[in-house]
Amino acid sequence: MEDIYILGIESSCDETSCSIVKNGCEEIATVISSQIAIHSSFGGVVPEIASREHVKNITFVIEECLTKANMTMQNITAIAVTYGPGLIGSLLVGLEAAKTLSFIYNKPLVPVHHHAGHIYANSLVKKMSFPLIALVVSGGHTELIYMKEDYSFEKLGGTLDDAVGECYDKVARVIGIKYPGGPVIDKLAITGKPTYHLPTPLNDDSYNFSFSGLKSAVINLAHKEKQKGVELNKEDLAASFQSVVVEAITKKTLKALKDYKVNNFIIAGGVAANKVLRNRLKELCIENDIDFTFPEMKYCTDNGAMIAAAGYFAYKKGRIATLDLNSKSNDKLN
Amino acid sequence: MIFYIDTTSNYLYTALVSDEKVISEVKEKLDNNLSVYALPKVASLFEKNNILPEEVSKIIVVNGPGSFTGIRIGVTIAKMYAWALKKDITTITSLETMALSNKNNTKYKIPMIDARRGYVFAGIYDQDNNQILKNNYVNLETLKCIANDLPGDYSWISNNNIDVDKLETYDPDIFKICMKYKDKESINPHMVNPEYFKLTEAEENMNKNDREVNE
Repeated sequence: MEDIYILGIESSCDETSCSIVKNGCEEIATVISSQIAIHSSFGGVVPEIASREHVKNITFVIEECLTKANMTMQNITAIAVTYGPGLIGSLLVGLEAAKTLSFIYNKPLVPVHHHAGHIYANSLVKKMSFPLIALVVSGGHTELIYMKEDYSFEKLGGTLDDAVGECYDKVARVIGIKYPGGPVIDKLAITGKPTYHLPTPLNDDSYNFSFSGLKSAVINLAHKEKQKGVELNKEDLAASFQSVVVEAITKKTLKALKDYKVNNFIIAGGVAANKVLRNRLKELCIENDIDFTFPEMKYCTDNGAMIAAAGYFAYKKGRIATLDLNSKSNDKLN
Repeated sequence: MIFYIDTTSNYLYTALVSDEKVISEVKEKLDNNLSVYALPKVASLFEKNNILPEEVSKIIVVNGPGSFTGIRIGVTIAKMYAWALKKDITTITSLETMALSNKNNTKYKIPMIDARRGYVFAGIYDQDNNQILKNNYVNLETLKCIANDLPGDYSWISNNNIDVDKLETYDPDIFKICMKYKDKESINPHMVNPEYFKLTEAEENMNKNDREVNE
């Protein structure tokens, strides 16, 4: 069978990235141009600045990727691109670039949902076995997804308000850590103890999550301690916050795994890089005899490789778009 | 053969142009659907005329000012095209395209693009299309005062509904624009970028805060 090479383009937020992936599982080359340094001085991603940077970077990133892979566009089978969800202006740059390449080289254009990309980052680690439950945790999303087979997605539940990564960044800001603060909280939590009492978020029978109450509780706690003139112990607060988050996620995940009787679980998205969350979910899977797959750290944040990997499976399913493909800031994964 | 593209407003202006004539062109108001239809319309422009992207020798792209999102659509298409097929590419401002296309025989021409909140992107050009007021983001009332002081008659040009006397609706003379720019030096496609003529709001606020701290 002829090898399939997918060129994947990702520009949904503040990373311009391009990858070439062979047969959905072998990364040939990846280039990522990150804008974190630019946005950190603004305390978060500024959508218009992100869009402007994507235009500046897009041809450089694609060229470097092809050079790294020692390939030309003629070697590419199809072009996969994140069409949503994400920042609309940012998405548009990647999308127009992909559409232009598709037009010029007469190659199939494969639309990829950003979450599908995060999930399929796992296929770069090992072959995914179905049925499975996927937990997508990132700056913009917290979702539990059931996959009966390849490229079939059923959302079981998700956050009702803030995404978990967003909550991490906001809590980080409260305790004086610059954007992006999520990874720093993870580090601080390792040396801290969960001494602060924080409420358990949405302790019910659904597969949904809610983190805004927890975020508010941290903000209120910080204000109260400040008024009392008591200095917050950042490590302990980070550990307290993180233990509540991890427990909430673990509980809902376990419920989904048991209800759907699946033996395969994968984690995906930026927060999948969180060590405490990873370890706790790993323990959970060992205790319940469930196979646990998690992406390498480098595939947790946004990248073109995950889009190219997902693009392969979408391509195999015949999901080809026409040149009037539009970006969508919010779109259901299906 | 020249490929021309302008998506800086809510219109798509695109064409294939030879040394003798406009082979085929699209001048269509697409409003919020520019991102959806710009590329399909470009593709059908080539297909209908049996022209392959490889046959183009030069790309001329209008790179602003105008709608930030709109500018990025055309610039991304043009720079990707030029980079992929190693084509010559050059940029032109939207305001100059308007000045070049003006049909009134006034001594001065004032092309404008609505920038909202009482501001416009504008420049002033003379009869020979020399720029005598630099393209800029300017308050409309201030611009009207400058126009009144011009030593000769002038015409306002725009395809936005801007509150000025005798506004001439912009209709690009794509052939004239392309003939002026066909021999202009080519730019490395990587370096072809939008000209926004305005910082983002976040950058403006940051600069304002910095100024206040320094004062």
